[in-house]
Amino acid sequence: MSTQPGQAVAAGRVRAPRPSAAERLSHAASKLTLPVILLLPAMTIIVGLVGYPLVKTIWLSFTDTRLGDLINGTSTWVGLENYKEVFTDEQLRTSLVNTVVFGTACVVGTMALGMAVALLLNQRLRFNWFFSLAVLLPWAVPALAASSIFKWLFDDRYGFVNWALVGLGFHHFQDYAWFADRNSAYVAMFVVVVWQSFPFIALSLLAGLQTVPRDTLDAAAVDGANAVQRFWLITLPLLRPILAVLVIFSTIWDFKIFDQVYVLAQGVPDRAADTAAVTGYREAFALGHFGTGAAIAVVLFCVLLAFSIAYVRLIGKEGRT
Amino acid sequence: MLLAALAAVSVALAACGGSDSDSSSKSDKASTSTPAKLSGSVDVWIMDPGSPKIQSVVKGYGTSFEAQHPGTKVSIEFVPWAQAHDKFTTSIAGGKTPDIAEMGTTWTPEFADEGAFEQVAKPPSGKYVSSLIDAATLDGKVWGKPWYAGSRALIYRKDVLEKAGVQPPKTWDELLAASKAIKAKVPGIYPTGYTGLTEHMYLPTIWQAGGQIAKQDGDSWTSALNTPQAATAIQFYTDFYKEGLTPKAAIGWEEPDAQTAFINGDIAMLIGGGWTYNSIIQTKPGLKSKIGTELEPAGPSGKDTAFAGGSHLVVFNGSKDKDLANAFVDYMLEATNLNKFTSAVGFLPGTVEGIKASGYLDDPVRKPFAEQLLDHSAVYPPSPRWGALEGANIFDGEIQKVMRGKQTPQQAAQNLAKKMDEEFAG
Repeated sequence: MSTQPGQAVAAGRVRAPRPSAAERLSHAASKLTLPVILLLPAMTIIVGLVGYPLVKTIWLSFTDTRLGDLINGTSTWVGLENYKEVFTDEQLRTSLVNTVVFGTACVVGTMALGMAVALLLNQRLRFNWFFSLAVLLPWAVPALAASSIFKWLFDDRYGFVNWALVGLGFHHFQDYAWFADRNSAYVAMFVVVVWQSFPFIALSLLAGLQTVPRDTLDAAAVDGANAVQRFWLITLPLLRPILAVLVIFSTIWDFKIFDQVYVLAQGVPDRAADTAAVTGYREAFALGHFGTGAAIAVVLFCVLLAFSIAYVRLIGKEGRT
Repeated sequence: MLLAALAAVSVALAACGGSDSDSSSKSDKASTSTPAKLSGSVDVWIMDPGSPKIQSVVKGYGTSFEAQHPGTKVSIEFVPWAQAHDKFTTSIAGGKTPDIAEMGTTWTPEFADEGAFEQVAKPPSGKYVSSLIDAATLDGKVWGKPWYAGSRALIYRKDVLEKAGVQPPKTWDELLAASKAIKAKVPGIYPTGYTGLTEHMYLPTIWQAGGQIAKQDGDSWTSALNTPQAATAIQFYTDFYKEGLTPKAAIGWEEPDAQTAFINGDIAMLIGGGWTYNSIIQTKPGLKSKIGTELEPAGPSGKDTAFAGGSHLVVFNGSKDKDLANAFVDYMLEATNLNKFTSAVGFLPGTVEGIKASGYLDDPVRKPFAEQLLDHSAVYPPSPRWGALEGANIFDGEIQKVMRGKQTPQQAAQNLAKKMDEEFAG
């Protein structure tokens, strides 16, 4: 292998006459050798860490694999049977719908709150440095810890939320069991997810806001545009590329959300509030149906891939116009 | 008295230790005759049901074992019951098991079926609580050593029942009547804490109604839940929730949540074990004088059967240090150590002699727990599939739907039977 670069040099020298087709081919190959060698370690790691699990998961999704099969390496090929189950089994299908609806709601909530906080932080307020720092804190809390804390905050008898709501005059919330019903459980989970994910969005948008040229905004103001018009007509269009990227990120994060749902939705009757990631995990690791679990993971993967491709193309268009 | 108890337990355990040494003499030699040879390290996973005492007692085993065998390292990790089944599955699938683990009796056949454990010599009959050995047996081989056992009984607040003017309930009808009286006469406390996520509370009501959970036919099992008895049991259990005799949030409670509610004075009656009782009085000593206990209320069939639960200690196949692992298991099962554990935590030793020696039968408050286990208990089907059924909580969802009035008890029984049969069929 180490002689390859030398050959490349030699190939360069004999170029003087007219290189034959074979020579040109070997020239091209040797030109590629060095980059390939340099990339090889990184490629190996990526293939090992991303490629292998991906291929294995896809393969598992076409098999009936139990815990014992996984240990002994024996699995039965069942074709599309697992996928059929994912789309016909009521509970599995519900979990996919949950993922899309709840994930979308979380993305919208996160983006709205993130934008609002970014706009506030972009004002020249006193102690702004303090607020910027404080905004980061929820992001620094591990998702599992945050979920457990919120489970207590939403506790029926001793939780802060019910106490505060009753104190504000909403007596309906006396001993209100948030996690005894799917919809109210989603309200609580929405709060946790948005609370945890808005800091990143807010700070990224703040960075974006600071690149919006002041003189453009000043010029618009001179031309008579009010604050709302300046936001919609100047700031927002200029932020579009970064918004698109952030929406992709949020979508991917919120669709594969696990920790918060795992902790908070486990008492919801009939597991009606589980999302696809949790259902896939439970199917595989609680029931030992690794094939079905893998099929759910693959479906979720495809959904996310579709979203990602759509957004990437969207960015491409933005770049051209 | 105490000395006699210790002696009896040590006799029982010495006997079982002897039977073990027949087949696994290598490990026994390592632990007894040449202790200096032990070296290396073992990882141990112990379940934590939310008892404040378990951690200190078990950690104490680790430190004293290390002191007796310099050069060894025992790392103990505590796993909450609710997460344990998933954690075992993950670790077995990933080939990253601990060396030793405490295994819930209903899970031992499941993971043994996957070839996860080292085999254990068959102990002579009559030594252990027989249901614990049955639960550890698969295809005629034994895969775990019984550690402790326990059955749930009825724990109630004497003061609340008095205020309501009712006697401790002995039957379903009395329980329902007592609950209604508490609701009517004692404000600020719910009568019961029947949760939506504790199968050990509701599955035994099927036995109490005169039904069965599953039937064995040769090697295979079929569900026995599609019966009027099972529907009666589910109806009985869920009515407490529907009629507001159990807190609204209880539909999403795990067993420890019900225990916490009892400690906080939010519920007056609780289905719990001796370990529950110990946790309650250790957390809130003021309740000790207010607590009474009784066997589980008997159903229409006259039966008051509870689930005989417990744990095995297993050594994993993947352990790199099996000698050390076996030695530590035997150490934990030594009479004095076992007794320290069971009395502190409120479990019963896994041996018949041990139970008699535990003093439980002489303590009026603890007596029902021992009686319940010895004479009024049964086990779930020891099928390798049962653990997965439990791990996936297939029961909870159907029970919760009935609690919320989304389906009838008959439908729940029918659905459960179907789900069980699917799982049994593999």
